[in-house]
Amino acid sequence: MNERRTTVPSDPAQLPALMQFVQEFWSAADLPPAQALTFELALEEVFMNVVMHGAPAGTALRIEVSLRLTDSGLTMSVEDDGPEFNPLSLPPPDISASLGERAVGGQGVFLVRQMMDAVNYQRVGVRNQLTMTKYIIRFSGDRLPA
Amino acid sequence: MNIRFETLALTTVVIPEGRLDFGAAAGFQRHVEEVLAGAGTAPAAVIIDCNALDYVSSAGLRVFLLATRAAQRAGISFALCALTPAVREVFDLSGFSRIISVHADRATAVAQAPQTPA
Repeated sequence: MNERRTTVPSDPAQLPALMQFVQEFWSAADLPPAQALTFELALEEVFMNVVMHGAPAGTALRIEVSLRLTDSGLTMSVEDDGPEFNPLSLPPPDISASLGERAVGGQGVFLVRQMMDAVNYQRVGVRNQLTMTKYIIRFSGDRLPA
Repeated sequence: MNIRFETLALTTVVIPEGRLDFGAAAGFQRHVEEVLAGAGTAPAAVIIDCNALDYVSSAGLRVFLLATRAAQRAGISFALCALTPAVREVFDLSGFSRIISVHADRATAVAQAPQTPA
């Protein structure tokens, strides 16, 4: 079990099912539970962004999520068949702004970029694809780190 | 998400439990707005005790930002306390821990709350 995929409509009611998808991947892969929260958060942010801003009015998109475990880390990709949009093109919020000036929106993508080691956007055919990777540092028992 | 409330003199403590995600944010916002409005008289201080809050997303951060502003307008002291490590990370990465008062534990937050009406 190194890779799992699921496809859901762009409906906020799908959020609990997506969180369960991450949690099931985590327990099946026997990964540290605390790290699951990073991926749950990233998935919520990216999914909700597509739900709220990605679909032309009155339409639903298909959103495909995959999780893949490799030797170097964990990669999650979120793909949708909506109009071309690169969420990484959004300007980051000004985190030095005062309480009154701090923007209310735009935190989600910023958080994802902060929490992940690599985030990439690609337009693949008719789909937007956002790929997020968190590297895992592992020390094997018989080879201690220098 | 479950939400509990406790009243200590002029301070109302709100205790959200579980996950403050997109699905829970609107309900939590309504409860916090009601607490800030007060039943009859507004509280002097509102403390959100986050010791049982496992998860917060940007939808939850938005509620905390709006509540902090609303409290400031109403002259009510507003603070968070006892953040779990995962929630603390979200507050630190977003910079929200610099614009919203965050205390290590409830005792510290209560000690700093004003003892006279707003």
